[in-house]
Amino acid sequence: MPVSAGADAGARVVGAVGPVVEPRVRLRLGAGDVPLVAIGQRVAAGDPVAERRRDGAVAWARLGGSAAPEPGTAVEAGVPVAGRGRRAVRFAGSGRVLYTTPSGLLRVAVGRHAEQVGTPTAGVVESVGPAAIVIRADGIGLPGTLTAGEATVGRLVVAVRRPDDELPVAAVDVGAAGAILVAGARIDVEALTRARAMGVRGVIVGGVVGRDLRSFAASEARQRAALHTSPPFALLVLDGFGKRPIPPGAWAALVAAEGRDVGISADPSFALLDVAAAVAAEPRDRVRVAAGEGLGRIGRLLEVVGRRRLPAGVLGPVARVALEAGGPGQPPEERLVPLADLERTGP
Amino acid sequence: MTARPIAFFTIDHGTATTAAAIIGQLDGRFRLLAAGAQPAGISADGLLAGLVAEVAAIEPDVLPDPTTWSDWRRLESATHRPPRALVAAASEAGLGAAEAAVAAAGWRVVGRISPERTDALAATERCLDPDVELLVVATADPVPAEERDALADLVALVAAALGRRDDEPTLVLAGGAAGVMQRFPAARVVLGPAPLPHPHAGADPLRDLLVALDQALIAGAGGPAAGFPDGRRALVTATASLAAVLDRRVELVDVGATAGLRVLVGPGGVRGAIVSAEGALTPPDVIEDDRRADGVLQWSTIRADAASMRDRVRNLAIAPWRDAAGDGARLRLAAARAALARLDAAWRLPDDAEDRPASYGTDLLVASGGAFAVAPAPAVALALVDTLRRPGGMTLAHDHARVLAPIGGLADEADRRRLLADLLGDVLAPLGSAIVAAGLHAGRHRGTVRITSEDGADMRIELVPGGVQLVDLPPGVAATAELTTRDGLWLGVRAHHFALPVAGGLGGLVVDTREIPLRLPERPERRRDLLDAWQRPLWAGADT
Repeated sequence: MPVSAGADAGARVVGAVGPVVEPRVRLRLGAGDVPLVAIGQRVAAGDPVAERRRDGAVAWARLGGSAAPEPGTAVEAGVPVAGRGRRAVRFAGSGRVLYTTPSGLLRVAVGRHAEQVGTPTAGVVESVGPAAIVIRADGIGLPGTLTAGEATVGRLVVAVRRPDDELPVAAVDVGAAGAILVAGARIDVEALTRARAMGVRGVIVGGVVGRDLRSFAASEARQRAALHTSPPFALLVLDGFGKRPIPPGAWAALVAAEGRDVGISADPSFALLDVAAAVAAEPRDRVRVAAGEGLGRIGRLLEVVGRRRLPAGVLGPVARVALEAGGPGQPPEERLVPLADLERTGP
Repeated sequence: MTARPIAFFTIDHGTATTAAAIIGQLDGRFRLLAAGAQPAGISADGLLAGLVAEVAAIEPDVLPDPTTWSDWRRLESATHRPPRALVAAASEAGLGAAEAAVAAAGWRVVGRISPERTDALAATERCLDPDVELLVVATADPVPAEERDALADLVALVAAALGRRDDEPTLVLAGGAAGVMQRFPAARVVLGPAPLPHPHAGADPLRDLLVALDQALIAGAGGPAAGFPDGRRALVTATASLAAVLDRRVELVDVGATAGLRVLVGPGGVRGAIVSAEGALTPPDVIEDDRRADGVLQWSTIRADAASMRDRVRNLAIAPWRDAAGDGARLRLAAARAALARLDAAWRLPDDAEDRPASYGTDLLVASGGAFAVAPAPAVALALVDTLRRPGGMTLAHDHARVLAPIGGLADEADRRRLLADLLGDVLAPLGSAIVAAGLHAGRHRGTVRITSEDGADMRIELVPGGVQLVDLPPGVAATAELTTRDGLWLGVRAHHFALPVAGGLGGLVVDTREIPLRLPERPERRRDLLDAWQRPLWAGADT
C-alpha cells in the first residue's frame, strides 16, 4: 500500500450523503388509525394508504361478560365490537381496540373525524404494522436533515436561480398552488406561511432558522387541529440550521427533476424523485465548504497540507483548495480550509 | 543483523469521529509515535497512511517497512448510538428509579409511562413505536399494595400493544413485575431485579442486566460498531487497569457525540460507572427543544443573538466534527461543559463501608472523547474543575490520542497493564493539577498558597476568594502546594493548613476558590462576561 498522505486527498474528506436508491419510507400511524393497503400492493404517489382518526381520545365500555375483542381490532361507529343484542358494546366514534383491563373494561382509541393519508411516492407496500406503513419507493431519495410537517407530493418548481439564493415572500403566489418549491439557502416563516396559504404542498431548502421552524411547527399544529384541515404540507431541510446553500449534488438532482412530481417524506427525511438519471458522478477532488468561512463555496481539493494553527489558537489538519467564483465579491481563489469543514460533493 | 521494529495501530471508531494512533517499540518500550482523527464515515486507511507517512518522514527507523502498514496489527474499539428504551412503572416514584437505571446503562429513554402522567392512547402509541428496542416495566419487590391495581392495568396495556408488534423488542420485567411474566411470550421476556430505591452509580444488578442487553443488541445488530469491543465499556476496563498500574484512585469522563461516560475506580475496584445519552456533547433532543440548546449556551462565552447560537448548537449536533476553529472551538467546549454538568447531575456514589458517606475524590481525573479534541489544555482543565466540582486536589490528564479505549478492549489484564505502564507519559497529556478549596473568606487575612517544586522553585501567592488562579507549573515537574489560611479552608476536611502533592502540566496548577457547586449569574451578559474572564487567561490565541 502506498504511504503517501496525499495520494488520494479526497479520501481524507467526508463525502456528501448520496441519494438512496429505492428508499424505504415510513408513514406513521396512530393507535386509532386504519391502514387501507396490504403488503405487496403497488401504490401511486398521492394514493390514500391509511385513514387517520383525528382528535383521538380513549373511550371505554364495560364488557359485562362478553368476549373481549383482540387488541387492534377496527371499531366502526355504532357497530357492535363485542356482545350481542342489548349487551352489544358500541362506540360513537371509529377507531381501534387498545386493550381490556383486568376488571373487564374495554378501552378503545377513537377519533371524531377521519381523513385520508396519502403516500408521497409511488412504490410497493413492504409492511403494514400497527404503528407504521413502510413503502419501498420507486426512484431515489435525496436525504435531508429534517422534515417538518407531513409527507406530501407535488410538482417540483425550482423557485430560485442559485442554491445560495433566498426565496422572497413576494415571489410566492397562487401560481405555485400544488407545487413543491425549491427555495434555496433559507426560507423565513413569513414566506412559509404564505406558501401554505397559497396551496403550496411543500418547500425544500438548504437551511432554516430554528426560530422560524418553531413558529411553523406551531402553525402546522393549529392547522391540524382545525375542523377542516388543508392538504398536507412539508418543509424539507437538506443541510442544517441557519442559511445554508443547497449542496451541489442535491441541487443538480432537483434542477433535473423540475416539472416532475416529487415527494417529501418525514420518516426518514427524503426528497423523493422518480428518476435516478439526474444524479451525475462527481470527481473525488470536488469539494464544498460545509462550515465556517466561505460556507457553500465549491472548489477543487489540491492537497492536504497537514496541521496548521487555526483561529482561536486551535491546531488542525487543513487542505489547500482552489475555490471557484462564488457570488458577488467572491472571485476564484486558493485558500487553506480546515479539512473537517470540507465535504466532497459526491458520495 | 538488527530485528525490524514492531508497530501497530490503535483505532477508536466513534460515532462522529475516528481517532487513530501508531504505537511503536523503542528501546524495549512501547511509545506513541503519531496520532490523528477524522470524521467517521471515511475509511480509516487514508488517516493511517497519513500517520505512517508523518513518522516515516521524520524517523523512518522506528517503523517496520512502511509500505507494509496495511498488514500491521490493529487494536480497535467502537462506540454506537444508544439504543432506545421505554420505561413504565405503576407509580411516578417507581418510574424515576427505573429510569435512572435504564439511562445509566447507556440506553436513551425516549418515553415514560406511569398512570399519573400517561393516558392509555399515548401509552399504547409509545409501546407500538417501532424504534423502541427495549421496554422496561419495573416495580419494587414485592409490589406495594397501592400499586397492584395500577400494575395489572399497565401490564394489560403493554401486553396488548406488544402482541400487535411483529418485531420483537425485549421486555424487561423488573422487581415485582416479574410476577406477570405469563402474560408475555417467554422468548421476549427478561426478568430483572427491582430498581434501587435511591439510584447510584455503584453496583446495581438491574443496571448490569441492562448493560448486558445493550451489549447483546450491539453484537447482534451488525453495522460499523459490530465486531469490535464496545468503546465505552473498554474505557471502564482501561480505567481500572490504569488505577492498578498507578495504585491511585482514577476517574475518567468521556464526552462523545451520542453519549457520555463517567467512571471512578478506587483501591477496591470500580466505585461507580455510568454511560448516559444525556452525557453526549449535545443533548439528545436538542434539535426539537430550545431549552436543551439554551442549557448548552449557558456555558458559552460567545456574544451573538440567542436564535443564531441555538442554530449553531443544532449544527454541532448534526455534524460534530465541523466548525472546530474560532468560535466553533469555544462553542464545542461550552457544549462539553454542559455535558459534564449533566453527567455530574446523575453521579451518585453508594456509601462507603460502615455507612460512611461516599468519597467522591480522585487522585487523577482523565478527560477523553472528541469533545476535548480541539480546545487548549488549560481551557480543558478549567472546564473539568468548572463542572465536576468537589473539594480537594487532583491531577488532570487528557487521553488526547483516544488510545485508552482500544487498550481497554484487550482481553488480557497483563497486556493492558504492560501497555499502559509503557505509554502513560505519551497517551495521557498532562493538563496539570487543580486544587479546589471552598470556604475561603474575603478579608484582610485570606491566606496563601506556597508551591515548592522538586526543581528548587519556590512561589508564594495570595489566595483570591471566589476566583481561579493559574500557577505556572510545567509538565513533568512535581511539587508540593501548601495552603495556609487563618480562618480555615474546606478540602474535604476543614483545616488551616494543607500540604498537597501536585504535578505540572500544560495548564499548570489551577487554584480554585469558587463556590461548590458553581453558581453563575442569571443574566446572560453577566454570566458570559464572568465565564470569559475565567477562561480567557487559559486560552492562548483566544483573540485570533
